[in-house]
Amino acid sequence: MIEIAESAVRSSKKLGVDEAEGFVQRQRVIEIVLERGEIQSERMKIRRGIGIRVIKDKRMGFAFASMLDQQTIQETCRDASKLASASPRNPDWVSLPLPEKIPPSPEGLYDENLASLTLDEALNMVLEGYETAKETDSRVSIDEGKLMVSSTEIAISNSHGISLYGKGTFISFYLICVAKEQGEASSFAYEYDVSRTLKDFSARRVGELAARKALLSLGARRIKSFRGDVILSPEVASEILFAPLISNVNADNVQRGRSLWADKIGEPVSARSLTVIDDGLLPYGLGSSPFDAEGVPSQKTVVIENGILKSFLYDSYTANKVNKKSTGNAARESYSSPPSISISNLLISPGTKSLEEMISEVNKGIFVNRFSGNVSNESGEFSGVAKQAVYIEGGEMKFPLRETMISGNAFESLNRIVAIGRDRRATMMSVYTPPILVEEVTIVSQ
Amino acid sequence: MIDLLETCLLRVDAEYIEMRGHTRRVFSVVVKDGRVERIAKGLNRGACARALVDGSWGFSSTTVIDKKNLLDILTDARILACSSKPLKKRHVRMAPAEPHVDEYETCMKEDPRNGDLESLVGEVLDADAEAHEYSEKVVSTTLNLSVVDDEIFFVNSEGARIKQRIVRCFGTARIIAKSKGNIASAYESIGRQGGLEIFKDTPLREAALKAASRAVRIAPKQVVPGGYYDVVLENKIVGLLAHEAIGHTAEADLVCVGSFLSNKMGKKVASEMVTLVDDGSMPYGFGTMKYDDEGVPTQRTVIIDRGVVKGFMHSRETASQFGVAPTGNARAWSFEYDPIIRMRNTYIEPRDWTVDELIEDIKDGYVLRGSGGGQADFNGEFMFTVQEAIRIKNGDLKETYRGATMSGNAFEVLSNVRGVGRDFEMHIGICGKEQPNYVGIGGPSVKTKLLVGGR
Repeated sequence: MIEIAESAVRSSKKLGVDEAEGFVQRQRVIEIVLERGEIQSERMKIRRGIGIRVIKDKRMGFAFASMLDQQTIQETCRDASKLASASPRNPDWVSLPLPEKIPPSPEGLYDENLASLTLDEALNMVLEGYETAKETDSRVSIDEGKLMVSSTEIAISNSHGISLYGKGTFISFYLICVAKEQGEASSFAYEYDVSRTLKDFSARRVGELAARKALLSLGARRIKSFRGDVILSPEVASEILFAPLISNVNADNVQRGRSLWADKIGEPVSARSLTVIDDGLLPYGLGSSPFDAEGVPSQKTVVIENGILKSFLYDSYTANKVNKKSTGNAARESYSSPPSISISNLLISPGTKSLEEMISEVNKGIFVNRFSGNVSNESGEFSGVAKQAVYIEGGEMKFPLRETMISGNAFESLNRIVAIGRDRRATMMSVYTPPILVEEVTIVSQ
Repeated sequence: MIDLLETCLLRVDAEYIEMRGHTRRVFSVVVKDGRVERIAKGLNRGACARALVDGSWGFSSTTVIDKKNLLDILTDARILACSSKPLKKRHVRMAPAEPHVDEYETCMKEDPRNGDLESLVGEVLDADAEAHEYSEKVVSTTLNLSVVDDEIFFVNSEGARIKQRIVRCFGTARIIAKSKGNIASAYESIGRQGGLEIFKDTPLREAALKAASRAVRIAPKQVVPGGYYDVVLENKIVGLLAHEAIGHTAEADLVCVGSFLSNKMGKKVASEMVTLVDDGSMPYGFGTMKYDDEGVPTQRTVIIDRGVVKGFMHSRETASQFGVAPTGNARAWSFEYDPIIRMRNTYIEPRDWTVDELIEDIKDGYVLRGSGGGQADFNGEFMFTVQEAIRIKNGDLKETYRGATMSGNAFEVLSNVRGVGRDFEMHIGICGKEQPNYVGIGGPSVKTKLLVGGR
């Protein structure tokens, strides 16, 4: 694979470009989709491709192809080079990254058991999750779900001498369940598991938790609108607090005036209890890799420390632009996209309280398990339906809620964090966060 | 490629087998704040096989197209169908469909294969520059222009053999403006099925300017005070409502699991002013194909006829379950996906009101403009973001607010319709239902009542 990436770099250089980069990807994916409560489709995909980035006189071109034969690669190099010529000069361009020492690979990023998982085994896992949900309670049925297992190999090569190979595995599974009782349907309960290795994964657990969540939202009631405390589940905290945070510390957004924190380094941006670290080297981490999608070494970057903004997240372009070092945060969705800035694993430092203790401290508020609505990453405004929400009064969970909306502003809420739980969970977004208690959120019901 | 697919298909034996070969050529330019963020050309090619064995589907795909690999995926698909059979309760049957042998190509004036794609970069940069020049309050812009050229071959064991080439040209503009410490964003799009002439007929700069003027207008404004109001929904929002909140509930696979429309066939669910259609054959529609990905001819499918539920959208599988003819709604995003029931071009039909007439008898309400996306459940409950809300007082337009949400039950909203405009427009959409797909959404402006939410 690495030879293919290197040959693309050589071919591009022959076309007279200044710099070139080849990114080759090979992937095996199993997907099993549950719909209408049963297996709707199962797919085996063999996928491969190359993305070629070239720079000519500070002009960039990018082309990709799903075939790796010599002729296609040559054509793709020509396309990239032609596009570079058509592209305007970018005076801010400095260079593709130079080779650096790559740290040893963190533990637990590749699992042979997942790479060689057969379709039958995958089907059985789905069935286990499915059966467990139904066995948990007869009122529960499954609306939809999906299991995805992937094994990916990548190779990156550039004309400055970077030449790297890496591989990784993933498994993810989610279920959406609904419980029905005497003509009343609960809201849709979502539960998931995601892991780099098979041994940390359990489809059964997903089934059981999804079913329990669905049952918990039976008998939902309405409440009068109020402003109060809201406990956000890790999922919801990721979506409404940390997605805007991530967008605000993205150096590209900072440089383009899209971040409200552009000039806030060294200043308080959140409650003092909040510490946020981006760690690309976390063992077993969903977003871990020894190097990023441009071949820059991964690292640990303190983003917020005790409420003080410490650093933005950079790729090599945005770092070069302001004379800094890349933080190794370049990522690619696949060979068909050029790199852009993304978190690796965003770790929220845990507090000391269990969820029960957090609940016991709420006088009047709600606990939100899921959120369906809109979050503006630029302004931080969020507004949407609180799902699987439970009403809390006098430190006790009282009853599930229906048709309840929450709205507020993420940047204000980050300053109104009252407590951070102690039990951290990885979300599908690669944010590792405990539940978070925020005060003064608007809770609206009809 | 189609001959190779056919040769391989004939060598395997099963109850039913189909193969698709798909080549997608993509050209895209992304400009952010005067800089070309991305200029890319790409080629994706692959093939897939889907086999039905004893009522069970199996599916396999590859990006390596030669006899050996094609025979491999055929075998894999069959093995998968057999091995998953014991885990499935549903026994799939397919409604009959005539095996067509045909070719179709998007009607184009300027075929992008002969066009100078590189020159489009300048057009995007110009549009971006104009958006920035519009006002110093414009702080950030993201413009995208894309040309997607799909060649799809379909063969099945019943003798179908279909070649289609579908070309789509489209663009989007997202503009962010800052004023009085507030940030607001606005979005506009252009595009349809067709060739490069689209970029001349509907220049990206017009969309960019429209978005810029809205973003600048709404940035300094207050967030709308919420409440239950008479509203006039701009045509773009009506399209989103038709697709997202209504259309999905008429997809037969969701009807089967109890969507809002599951027990409403023949019943009145909307005002008689409302006729809602999903049309796969609409000329130049963003979601138009001559045949769907099961080889079934697409057609104009009436979902709601003057307020009454008339039809659902079907694949061959659900058509057999419901005992009706398939409607040509089985679509797949690429060779890596099996076809599922998808909308094509979904819209509410226009009537004869002007927008002024829709507004004139509203005592206290809003005009809602600019769709910012949203969510809907298959029970019809929805929540959308709209970019701009303009107060109506006694038939006159008053002050502007920014960033409202609208929510409620879509069928209640349709039942409350008291006027349907003549300003019909279609827009592009990319819908996600486990896999993405290109769809057209549209309608005229509509007068109704719903919950407008603020902060």
